[in-house]
Amino acid sequence: MEQRVYLDHAATTPLDERVLAAMLPHLEGRRGNPSSLHASGAAAREAIEEARESVAALIGASAGEVFFTSGGTEADNLALLGLAGAAEDSGKRHIVVSQIEHAAVRETARHLESSGWEVFWLAVDADGLVDLDELAVALRPDTAFAAVMWANNEVGTVQPMRELAETCAERGVPLHADAVQAAGRAPIDVERISVATLALSGHKLYGPQGAGALYVRGGVSLDSVVFGGGQEKGLRSGTENVAGIVGLGAAARRAREKLDERVRRETGLRDRIIAGATALPGVSLNGHPERRLSNSVHLTVEGVEAESLVLFLDALGYEVGSGSACASAGHKASPVLLAMGQGEHEAFSAVRISVGKDNTVQEIDSFLEAFSTATTQLRELSPLTKI
Amino acid sequence: MPETYSPEVIEHLVRPRNVGDLPEPNGLGESGDAACGDIARFSIRIEDDALRDARYKVYGCAACIAAGSALSELVNGKTLLEAARVSKEDIKDALGGPLPVGKEHALTLVLDALHKAFEDYWNREAGALLVEGYGGNVAGRGKTVVAAMSGGVDSAVTALLLKEAGYEVAAVTFRLHDGEKGSRSCCSPDTVLFARDTAHRMGLPHFTLNLKDLFQKRVMRDFVGSYERGRTPNPCVACNAHVKFHAAAFLADGLGFRHVATGHYARVAESPEGPALARPKDATKDQTYVLWPIPKELLARTVFPLGDYEKTEVRRIAEDRGLAVAYTPESQDICFIPDGNYRKFVRKQVAAEPGEVVDGSGNVLGRHAGVVDFTVGQRRGIGVSANTPLYVTEVRPRSKQVVVGRRKELEVLEVGVRDINWFLSPEEARSVQVRYNGSPVECEVEELEDGELVARLAEPVMGVAPGQSAVFYSGDGERVVAGGVVARSGS
Repeated sequence: MEQRVYLDHAATTPLDERVLAAMLPHLEGRRGNPSSLHASGAAAREAIEEARESVAALIGASAGEVFFTSGGTEADNLALLGLAGAAEDSGKRHIVVSQIEHAAVRETARHLESSGWEVFWLAVDADGLVDLDELAVALRPDTAFAAVMWANNEVGTVQPMRELAETCAERGVPLHADAVQAAGRAPIDVERISVATLALSGHKLYGPQGAGALYVRGGVSLDSVVFGGGQEKGLRSGTENVAGIVGLGAAARRAREKLDERVRRETGLRDRIIAGATALPGVSLNGHPERRLSNSVHLTVEGVEAESLVLFLDALGYEVGSGSACASAGHKASPVLLAMGQGEHEAFSAVRISVGKDNTVQEIDSFLEAFSTATTQLRELSPLTKI
Repeated sequence: MPETYSPEVIEHLVRPRNVGDLPEPNGLGESGDAACGDIARFSIRIEDDALRDARYKVYGCAACIAAGSALSELVNGKTLLEAARVSKEDIKDALGGPLPVGKEHALTLVLDALHKAFEDYWNREAGALLVEGYGGNVAGRGKTVVAAMSGGVDSAVTALLLKEAGYEVAAVTFRLHDGEKGSRSCCSPDTVLFARDTAHRMGLPHFTLNLKDLFQKRVMRDFVGSYERGRTPNPCVACNAHVKFHAAAFLADGLGFRHVATGHYARVAESPEGPALARPKDATKDQTYVLWPIPKELLARTVFPLGDYEKTEVRRIAEDRGLAVAYTPESQDICFIPDGNYRKFVRKQVAAEPGEVVDGSGNVLGRHAGVVDFTVGQRRGIGVSANTPLYVTEVRPRSKQVVVGRRKELEVLEVGVRDINWFLSPEEARSVQVRYNGSPVECEVEELEDGELVARLAEPVMGVAPGQSAVFYSGDGERVVAGGVVARSGS
């Protein structure tokens, strides 16, 4: 295959070779179950606890507040269902959730809604930012929790988490933050920003797929969702994915060490794409112009349908995302863009380009050429284009 | 079905063929809409019965772009008949097999755009002919036939039987009005799309003719106008008189084809005076009552293959041959009023003026909201209470009066008929049918000097409404001698 340029890091990141090296001993010939008393079991347990320390360090938590899951989606599910279950005893049946959540949160909230919970869907502005005043109004004495994602997976807008967390804390409402995109790309310190729970995922920070974690602030009580052998202090039963967890830990450690360097580098590449792409006619940036993820560019390309653009670029050797990778299969307009006030038609014309730590300026420049070629050719094809 | 696109699709996406708009097309078609996320447009140039050039444009997913590109390659340079035969299956094959789940609509979209360009071509060719009415009668070569296809089982089997009988068949579907289900959306079932699929599965070329203006002028306007004039219209008769057979003949002449065919249950009988309309094998499906106005020279080139079959046999043929007949609407009373509420339909077009309900002697019995609400023989909705049931016996639009009377007063022994279409000589007429679901009644006929044909009935008939058809049958009851429109009735 020809040289391919990967620009879809928001979907998943390549596995870092150091991470792989850390994982391999736990795949090749390893046999200990972390719950076992013998030496092999103890070694596995030790590796997990080391990983827990690393993940905790990435977000300013203590190790005892980190619970491993199978990924971001499970962490989000555990947070929402766990908080809801714990609050239900006190008669709370109301939650506040933003309209731009990842499906892992949105669909879990919808599930609660269909089970009789009242959901207040928090609106966002045209840039994808939630309104602090609306949050304050939405919170009620019987609100079990609020959920607002740290950074949006489609348009990349980063929320004012500190203010959101303060507003929730003043009202005594736990706040869940989906930080799957933000972890490793934005500084996160739960000491300073008092979220109750926070989800992150290994494969978005150069770790393995199938490993994630939920941070649960000490003192916040959660019902468990998965029952069994009582692993993860009974919050998440099931024999641990040792290699995956070790990989997540290694990735988190690396992300913490390299955070500033990565952000600086990615921001440069990101801004190069924004400048180059929006210089083309009919191409506009979605999401907040400044308050955005270091690696993410989300564009509306007028007169071009996203899927054909993505496949065209793919054929030229450039891998980007169409809208949100999860929404693209069914050809449904992205709820995120609709919540930001865009029309269905515009939403079909959105692509996401997300750079990573290993992309180069040369790659970005050649991508911009390909992007221009693809856009021009697809517009020539379109009966909607007036040439 | 695969999860991802074939290399062929990607190849067409990156290097699409025949992209653009022709500078001087003689056919232009567009399908889909931006709300659905996909639009395709074809511009074509047809010369000497061949597709000299076909260019396309698509806004949409990769499947739509590739399908448009592949289709343009498949049809470019083909004869019109070959091009009209290219099916979704053919496009799929050209794209290396099935498209991913949820992408099959791309095939429908681009094919519909091309066929709308064909449709536009025929409309340009026809000019005013398909608005004013087509009188041409060129009649082409050999064993060729244009078969009208509605999407129902009867017309599908008609086309199939003709093909099996060795005819070269071209299928045609008529766009008559906007009331067709889902006709404005690319994503919902549509009779034209269904008929096209059916034709293509039989390997037949398919065309669509847009007859909406003609149908509006000749059928729908007449329908509403009849009620205004206190008459009871028969829109199927009006359509057969001016629309369907003429349009099929127009297409046949355009293609150099000789015959036209429909899925009606009737026969064409040869006689010394030329072709005559005759009853079909299946008496329960007999449609001669609504077919009488076909001009004789058009009947001469008409084939009714179903005239020799029972309806049950037709259904069995469809099943045996695996024809998709899932969507087989039994002919409704009036195709452009799907809910059957023709009063509401008429009221939307004309302002009804209130008037009097009177008896036969002119005594005022009550008031009504408008003569368009009444038809001869009607019993419901008169709004006058009486000891014995009252029926509408006459509608007088000029004085806005509705005349009512007892059932006995509806009895008619004499009918005056005008606008007559003769197949056989007048002396052959032995019986007349004056209602769609009625039976023929023995009669004697007399031609008046002013052209009216008077039928004197051997027994009284109830509720003969002006505007309905009167169809005369021969002594053996099998052949149609003539048909016409009831102008007046008397006792």
